[in-house]
Parts: sequence; C-alpha cells; structure tokens
Amino acid sequence: MKPMRLVVVALLAAACSGPSASQPETTTNVALQEGARKTSTDPEVNPDAAAMAEFKARVDAYAALHKKLATGEAKQKETHDAAKINARTDALTAKVQAARADARHGDIFTPEIRPVFRRLLAPKLKGADGRDVKAVLKDDSPAPGTVPFKVNAKYPDSQPLPTVPANVLITLPPLPEPLEYRIVGQHLLLLDTSADLIVDYILNAITT
Amino acid sequence: MRRVVVLALLLASLPLATATQESRLPNKAGSVRFAIIGDSGEPGTGQTAVAKQMASWRTRFPFEFVLMMGDNLYGTERARDYAKKFEQPYKALLDGGVKFYAALGNHDDGGQTQYKPFNMDGRKYYTFSPKRGVRFFAIDSNYVDQKQLDWLDKELASSGSDWKIVFFHHPLYSSGATHGSADAQRQLLEPIFLKYGVNVAFTGHEHFYERIHPQKGVAYFIIGSSSKLRKGDLRKSSLTVYGNDSAYSFMLAEIDGDELYFQTISDKGETLDAGSIKRAGDVAPNRGVTTQPVVPQSAPSPVQPGPGK
Repeated sequence: MKPMRLVVVALLAAACSGPSASQPETTTNVALQEGARKTSTDPEVNPDAAAMAEFKARVDAYAALHKKLATGEAKQKETHDAAKINARTDALTAKVQAARADARHGDIFTPEIRPVFRRLLAPKLKGADGRDVKAVLKDDSPAPGTVPFKVNAKYPDSQPLPTVPANVLITLPPLPEPLEYRIVGQHLLLLDTSADLIVDYILNAITT
Repeated sequence: MRRVVVLALLLASLPLATATQESRLPNKAGSVRFAIIGDSGEPGTGQTAVAKQMASWRTRFPFEFVLMMGDNLYGTERARDYAKKFEQPYKALLDGGVKFYAALGNHDDGGQTQYKPFNMDGRKYYTFSPKRGVRFFAIDSNYVDQKQLDWLDKELASSGSDWKIVFFHHPLYSSGATHGSADAQRQLLEPIFLKYGVNVAFTGHEHFYERIHPQKGVAYFIIGSSSKLRKGDLRKSSLTVYGNDSAYSFMLAEIDGDELYFQTISDKGETLDAGSIKRAGDVAPNRGVTTQPVVPQSAPSPVQPGPGK
C-alpha cells in the first residue's frame, strides 16, 4: 500500500471510531460512574448490593403507590389557576396519608440500609470539599425546629427546601419520582415532593 | 427667588433623568429580546418598583419574555400568594402578553411547575427555543441528580450551533459574603457547560447584582435583587467586573447574531451596568475550556460599557 493511501485509511479509521470513543471523559462522568458503582445492586461490583436492592424495592413500591393515588382530583396538570394546584396537592396529600396511615419510621430506611447511607455520606463531609458541603447545608436550612421528623407529616410550606449539594447527591442511590433526598441539620429526609410529605428519615445521618 | 431655585433644580435634574433612562440596547429588528429577574417573589416596595420599571422600559424595548432565576414565591404558596407575589405586581407585563419562564429556587415548591404562567410544562428542568439559533436551558440547581445531568448532557449535545444559555438559582461563581460560589454544583455542571460550549449563565440566590469575569469562556451574571436586597453583602473580588448591592434591579438582554447585549436597570430606572459579549469559535466537544468562548466587547456598537464601580 502506498504511503498516501495508508494516511487516508488511518484518517478514515480515526473518524469512524466516533466522537464518544475519542472524547475524553469529563470529571462529571467520572463522578457519576463512581456514584453508580457505590449504589449498584450488582453484588459483583458493590458489597452493599443486597441492602441497595432492598432499598430500591421499597422506594419503587412507594412510587407505584403514589402513581396509583395521583389520579382524579389528585392529578396535577398545568393550569392558570393556582387554587387548582393547591386543591390537587391537598387531595394527593390526604390520599397518601390515608393509604400510608400505618407507615412507620424505618419502613424504607431500614436498620440494614441506614449504616450504608452514613458510609456513603461520610467522605463528602471531610476536607475542603466537606467544609463547602457543610456550609451549603447550613446556608439553606429551614428554621430550627420547623421540620417535624415524623413519617407522613407535611413538610412546612413556609420553609425553604434545603439544597442538596450535587456532589453529595450523586453518591446516594437514585430515586424514582416524586421522591427526593433532603438534609436538614444532621438528618436525612426522604421527601415526596408532589404531596409535600415526609416519607421516612435517618436521624444523625451525617456528623457536622 | 424661591421659585427660581426650584425651577433651576428641576431643569438640572432633567438631563440626568434622560441619561439614566436611556436604552443602551440596539433594539434591532429580528433580534431576541428578553428580561431577567431573580429572587423576585417578595411583595413590597422593591418588587413593585422593579415591576413598574420593567413595564415602562418595555414601551421602548419590547422584550417578549422574562427569565426568572428562582425564589419566585417566598413563604407560603397558596392561591392568594401567587396573586400577591406574582400576578398583581407583573400584571402589566402579563396583560401585554409577556411570557415568563421560571427556574426553581430553594424557596420554591414543585407545584410551581404546574402553574401555566411560569411555562415549565410540569417539569423542574426544561429547555425552550424562542427563535432559531437561540436555546435556553432551565436547570433545577436545588437538586442536581444523575437524571438531570443526563438530561442536560443530552439536550446540550443536540443543540448544535445555537446560543446556549443556561439559567438557574445557585450561582457557580459569586462574591457574596452570605452564600458565595456554589462549588458543589459547579463540580458537576461546569464540565458539561464546557463540553458543549455553553455561552452564558444567568443565576440568582444572592440578593444583589454581579457581573462576573467570563470563567473558562462562559459569561456569568447574578441577578438576585428583583425584590430582596442584602446590602453590604457583595465583597467585590477578582471575579467581579461590576456589582451593586444597594439597588433593586432587573436586566434587559438582546441577542443579535453572535452578540448579546445587556443592560441592568435599577428600581429607579437608572442604568447600573451595560455592555455586550460576543461569542467566537466553533462548537466542538472539548475539555477544560469552552470552545465557544464569550468575549466582552470593550466598545460595542451602539452601546457603551456600563459604569465601573
């Protein structure tokens, strides 16, 4: 093969490898991959896989229940009328509270999963990054004593929702809608953001 | 004699009033014209004055939509709150057909996504394109999880050569004493911005106005002073091009071709800051610095840079 042809073939081969193959990983991707490994339900990559799988099953069950209840008068849809948004939220809140009247602390954050969460959170609170994380948590916190640590209680609508630092969030197991994590003081909340309800919590999940 | 003094004072004030009310935007046919407000949901004299100025300025600069940087409604969010904190103060703009596009702040409930006047389409993060070649991305910076990062990556990847303008609540760069830069959010969002050539980021959270020196080719603005002020909180730093923590404010912006013009205006109608940025380079995935850096224009035509402070 002539040298010119070789160059053309080489260039074509490089082009065919596609942008994803030649593109460098971003630090975001690296962080996401690390988070995915630590929260995986695959026992070959994660020693906490069994606890993670159990947690996933429990939050998925909650999401399925929520979906079943968010119908009729409790189904949100876009509107110009804020009163309708309020009414639908109130209806959903009442339906979820009634359906989960027997729910207890620890139903989702079981005793087995709580130490796993504490282990996942601990490294993010150390060093310079940890100082930033603590500052954010303190910065956006609701007023002390305003959030009830009680399953099925409403998150107070006059209080801000504390921001979860992104580097902390990606180390935790992903959640189905409408669930979100929130950190209030040293405690981790599992929040239904559509019904504004506290689904479960871990006390002293972090040490500040 | 007293009448003469009063008349002289009135006459002296006229040129100043004219100068401060002067539009520094080109107002070109076919351009994309919009306004930006942040932390706007606290009813009171500041919010009322800003809303009135926006309506007044729209008669000269007919912006079509308003970006909201979050904390759209402080405190409770019953129907009366939507009326008092949003519908009444911005009535003139709403009646005039101006669309609002909201991002969520830490004081906002997810129910706002269902409120049609906020144009969120039921989602906490979304994208829209008001005109070919320009695309906006509303990010929920309260909760940057893997799902949202995947969405942002995908949407930016498919936005081609458009202007890419992101807006969200928490500033990735800030000289604020109370909050400061949102480092945790920056760790994950900035690499994606750089990878796909985001040009501009508008944010709020800090209750002041700050224009940041472009960071790795991305222009950052903080406009969190549209209804609340935290006087004395801005500690001007090496990040600051211009800042003001003593006046309620909003921003007007215009995109024409590869240039974005901006003018930041106080509740009294005074121009606090103005200028333009130009994007350059080609869109191609890169690492470490955006491949479409914005370049501040020292003497853009026809506008002039705003006052230094």
